[in-house]
Amino acid sequence: MESLILQHLLNWLVLGSIYALVALGFSLLFGLLNVIHFSHGDVSMIAPFVALGSLQAVFGITGGSMGILPILTVLAIAILVTGLIGIGADKLVISRFRRSPAMMALVATVALGTVIRELIRGFYPQGSNPKAFPAIAQGFLELGPLRLPAQPVLIVGTTALVVALMYGLMQKTPIGTRIRAVAEDAATARLMGITPSRIFAFTFFLASAAGALGALFFASHAGVVRFDFGVQLGLIGFSAAVIGGLGSMTGAILGALAIAGIESIVQANIADGASYRLVFAFLLVILMLCLRPSGLLGKPVFEKV
Amino acid sequence: MSTTLTNIQSRAALPASLIVAATEIGGAILLGAFLLAESTPLVVALLAVMGALFAALQLRPQIEEVIVAAFHDARGLATVLAVAIVLIYPFFLGGNTYALHLLIVSLLYSVLALALNFQLGSANIPNFATGATYGIGAYTSALLAIHFGWTFWATLPAAAIVATVFGFLLGIPSMRTRDSYLALVTIAFGIVIHQMLNNLSWTGGPNGLVGIPAPSLLGHSFMRPIELFGFRLPSQANFYYLSAALLGLAILSAKRLHESRVGLAWNAIRADELAAKCQGINVVWYKILAFGVDAFLAAFAGTIYAFYISYISPDNFTFLVSVTIMTMVIVGGMDNTLGVILGAFLLTMLPEKLRVFSDYRLLFVSVVVILFLILRPKGLFPQRQRHYGGH
Amino acid sequence: MTTPLLKLSGLGIRFGGLVAVDAVDLTVAPSTITCIIGPNGAGKSTLFNLITGIYRPTSGTVALQGDEITGLPAHKIAMRGIARTFQSSRLFEDLSILDNVIIGMHGRTRTGVLTALLRPAKSRRELEACAAEAETILRGISDELFARRYQPAGILPQADRRRLEIARALASHPRLILLDEPSSGMDDRDTAALMADIRRVMADNPGLSFLIIEHDMRLVAELPDNVVVIDYGKKIAEGDFATVRQLPRVQQAYLGQKAVEHA
Repeated sequence: MESLILQHLLNWLVLGSIYALVALGFSLLFGLLNVIHFSHGDVSMIAPFVALGSLQAVFGITGGSMGILPILTVLAIAILVTGLIGIGADKLVISRFRRSPAMMALVATVALGTVIRELIRGFYPQGSNPKAFPAIAQGFLELGPLRLPAQPVLIVGTTALVVALMYGLMQKTPIGTRIRAVAEDAATARLMGITPSRIFAFTFFLASAAGALGALFFASHAGVVRFDFGVQLGLIGFSAAVIGGLGSMTGAILGALAIAGIESIVQANIADGASYRLVFAFLLVILMLCLRPSGLLGKPVFEKV
Repeated sequence: MSTTLTNIQSRAALPASLIVAATEIGGAILLGAFLLAESTPLVVALLAVMGALFAALQLRPQIEEVIVAAFHDARGLATVLAVAIVLIYPFFLGGNTYALHLLIVSLLYSVLALALNFQLGSANIPNFATGATYGIGAYTSALLAIHFGWTFWATLPAAAIVATVFGFLLGIPSMRTRDSYLALVTIAFGIVIHQMLNNLSWTGGPNGLVGIPAPSLLGHSFMRPIELFGFRLPSQANFYYLSAALLGLAILSAKRLHESRVGLAWNAIRADELAAKCQGINVVWYKILAFGVDAFLAAFAGTIYAFYISYISPDNFTFLVSVTIMTMVIVGGMDNTLGVILGAFLLTMLPEKLRVFSDYRLLFVSVVVILFLILRPKGLFPQRQRHYGGH
Repeated sequence: MTTPLLKLSGLGIRFGGLVAVDAVDLTVAPSTITCIIGPNGAGKSTLFNLITGIYRPTSGTVALQGDEITGLPAHKIAMRGIARTFQSSRLFEDLSILDNVIIGMHGRTRTGVLTALLRPAKSRRELEACAAEAETILRGISDELFARRYQPAGILPQADRRRLEIARALASHPRLILLDEPSSGMDDRDTAALMADIRRVMADNPGLSFLIIEHDMRLVAELPDNVVVIDYGKKIAEGDFATVRQLPRVQQAYLGQKAVEHA
């Protein structure tokens, strides 16, 4: 019984971590650019494919267990490449809509998401088939009386670390200050000698890299990855960011934990719950937005008249 | 503006009726050629012709003004001729059922795009759930027909009412949420509906509903070919006429609403919600109304689709279907009826006609959409100003 | 005594800890012009937002011709007969100048979805009548605006934007018009024309009153029957301009403590 509760708890935290990593990207970019980067999920989902590809190319490994070095190298490559693709997405598409109505950027990024998915499907070897994805960590950890599976602990721990680093980056470093300055008022920031385009590039890298980590965890948690997994991951990440209040990092994390919580509860307590988990998650989204239109921690907008 | 129109008119050597006839017949021939084109070079050549025509309109805006003025002056002829072309069109397709199928799907998507245009185009309300209301319409009529033996004609209003109720429900959160937040509400609604259809047993789960009976009218079953004056049209022609009639209804509704106080109120909300409130416009009510009108028309399209294909599954009504409809509106031109219909036809037919690129056509279409948004953000045909007092 | 057109009693709003408007009492009689003056950030526009229902007051009441309208939604207040313009003009940019004025008549017209769909002739007639009246209003305000009536409002220069906003406000046949800095962006000639417009409109519409936020002292000196001074959200003076301008606390509010001491 106790281990069952523990298992559900871990499952909740793992899902919450994955969603939070994706949601943080949405929140960062919205805070900075007021843009909803709808292809963020698809960009993030490139990472597992890069990882699989480089695993074969660099180490010639196609499955089975592997050492720590290949894993770390491959993860680093995947995160780096995805971060750069995130910058590319901005330079090629999103940056062209800085002055357009929000709806245009939204539709353009939805189309960009399709482009990314179709590129993977069409050009990755057997891209339309699901691919087995290896576990990042195997076995169990013995912590006193507790015996915990290694991978979930690793996922949650790494996420906590990454989130802490991102908070530190935003609050304590010069680049974080600059990002916040541009988010507040890009024109004034430019007068102060900040180059907004560099800040945008850095933030897109950061958001996409965080999303990449989330997608890698997602793939290894599920043990499988497919070209179109990014749609759902993106939608859930976006929902988490909106529930929390777009633009708020803490909000994004709370939103991710809330959605993951609903999913876990439904899955654990309702017969056939697995198939209804999305229904409940998105009903929660609707309910939340009706009750708190600008999200948990979003600032209510007082329109200036 | 009205004086410039008449000036151009008097300078134009051609009488209005001729311009109208040439435009309509030319358009019909171009569409027919595109529908029947089998070889890729021909498809590409026809696309080039369309591109050239469009470029000509771009470089010489007067041409568009002359055509618009001619259609205004010869309204009666334009309508009669358009109806005549629509009626005789299937006879020229030489029994090509695939071309007819493409036409039907394009017509239905035009209706959906016009439905969404009431919100997105007229009032700038993001709605990512048109696919869902379309699905609610299709499932309602299919269930009524399969389980209760309702006829097509009886399910039509029933589906519309059920979908409109859902539309109003979906509109309620718009009282408090806006922009991205409202967009998410509609996305969430669409996913909830899709997942429910996928999981509930009485909707057939992922397999959907099969065996939706064909409609019949005055004893003529829509399964059977139309035989008239010695001509024989394939059975799809029944649904072609049905869909064309629905599009006619949608165009008429769009025109009447646009040229009324309601259309003006929506436009005011699109331009400046707060200023609209201060003119006495009940913004919340008009937003909910837009959701209702959208759902009503979408349900009609859904019903026809269900009876035409006779098989529906949740995958016909996904989030991506909603996005496609949205793209049609934006690419065609927000709040311009002709533009929206053109957008729907193009985005329905392009992927089908590019079958040679089989695996890459979705990729191609998405790239085209992005380029369009960057290069021509107002769409093929941007909205036009209203005119009063018949010039 | 007759019922005042507008009566504010102890009207106030606080945003969090900040009291933006504090217990303002104000009475506007029919057929009068009242000017509200005060330093930037004194809460003048916020007061307008309270009267027109953009913000809900946290204290006090607003009454129009004796009927309390406190806290009603903005569109209902507009329907009751209060029209307004905005400090940074808010036109329906992509709609034609004529449509902007016609939308001002929304509260006086009735066509709903069913009428528009099923009785198009009736709906069309209503709109054509509106268009005809809108043309008359535009012609009255400016021939220039009338001539450009089918062009989008977004292309107008600042002074014409103000004029169009006033035309749109007039279109609703209001009993009270609130103008938020109507002369900003206008040169001397435009301002003179604006004052003439306001007088003419008042002559044409008996009972109509204006409440005007203004910085241009020539306008404040010439036009109003009554001047109200607001500072830090409070009403600090009221009366005719000649009297009000002499009051030390008004000079202090405008020029600052030091200037008064030096004077």
